[in-house]
Amino acid sequence: MSEDQFKTRLKIAKNKARSKKPSKSEGSSSSMGTAFKMSTELVSAVVVGTIIGFILDNWFGTKPWLILIFFFVGVIAGIMNVVKSAKRMQK
Amino acid sequence: MAANPMYQFNVYRIGPEIKLGEIDISFTNASLFMVISSLAVLIIFNLGAKKKSLIPDKIQLLAELSYSFVSKMISDTAGSKAKPYFSFIFSLFMFVLFCNMFGMIPYSFTVTSHIIVTFTLASFIFIGVTVIGFIKHGLGYLKLFVPSGVPIILLPLIVVIEIISYLSRPVSLSVRLFANMMAGHTMMKVFGGFVISLGIVGGWLPLSFSVALTGLEILVAFLQAYVFAILTCIYLNDALNLHH
Repeated sequence: MSEDQFKTRLKIAKNKARSKKPSKSEGSSSSMGTAFKMSTELVSAVVVGTIIGFILDNWFGTKPWLILIFFFVGVIAGIMNVVKSAKRMQK
Repeated sequence: MAANPMYQFNVYRIGPEIKLGEIDISFTNASLFMVISSLAVLIIFNLGAKKKSLIPDKIQLLAELSYSFVSKMISDTAGSKAKPYFSFIFSLFMFVLFCNMFGMIPYSFTVTSHIIVTFTLASFIFIGVTVIGFIKHGLGYLKLFVPSGVPIILLPLIVVIEIISYLSRPVSLSVRLFANMMAGHTMMKVFGGFVISLGIVGGWLPLSFSVALTGLEILVAFLQAYVFAILTCIYLNDALNLHH
């Protein structure tokens, strides 16, 4: 085999290897993980917010109010969590 | 054995009862499986690191592959600054992976299907990452809670939101692993119960479901260990490279 022939074959093989890199099966298997990741991130922020509100309510004796406020703050924090991790994924 | 699908999550004592003051620290089946998985990790990687031949045999190949896998994961997500924490993330990933995989063996116990185990791991990571952040940046680490370019009127609300979102990290980290493992194992047990109760006539359909679920569960076991480790890297990245 001449050297030129070998060089072209090497080039083709290299291109093939490069184009293969983002393999499809890897993407689909980890997308299930990211889907679950998003949902828990949303839920956990709401839970943490509500717990903080509950504790503060018990401290200050303002029974229903802080838990209500912190519930909604937790919802906002959860949505922000999801947006943040979605942005991180797109990078 | 009970037909109850939650029976598999029972924690019971093995051997004598040991008490440290008021706290029960007896050896349970959960501790047994933690010991088994950590020993398995130690044995496999000690055997894999022993020979150091140029042409690796199977066990050395396994160790080298997992080393490069975790090392690539760290450098991709947290950059070169996170290299000193490789050993922690590697052992964390391997421990969770082996706990999940040992849970797939019939009649074994899945340690990671208990929220207290995963929450302990996650809160160790959370506290560790926070301490690293404060060591690296001093009080400047608090800038994490103050995003740039926010109008001063909105600032109190944003800071509260950021603090809640920061505190929700260990919760989401632990709940994800725990919920995946528990839901999967419960589902497998339920389908297994269907096979018995439908008998030889109708039991074939749930049996085929069971086979498919086993494959899915092995995938989930690996995936959740991977997600656990990669999120640790992301949190570490936030602590090391402050960018806000």
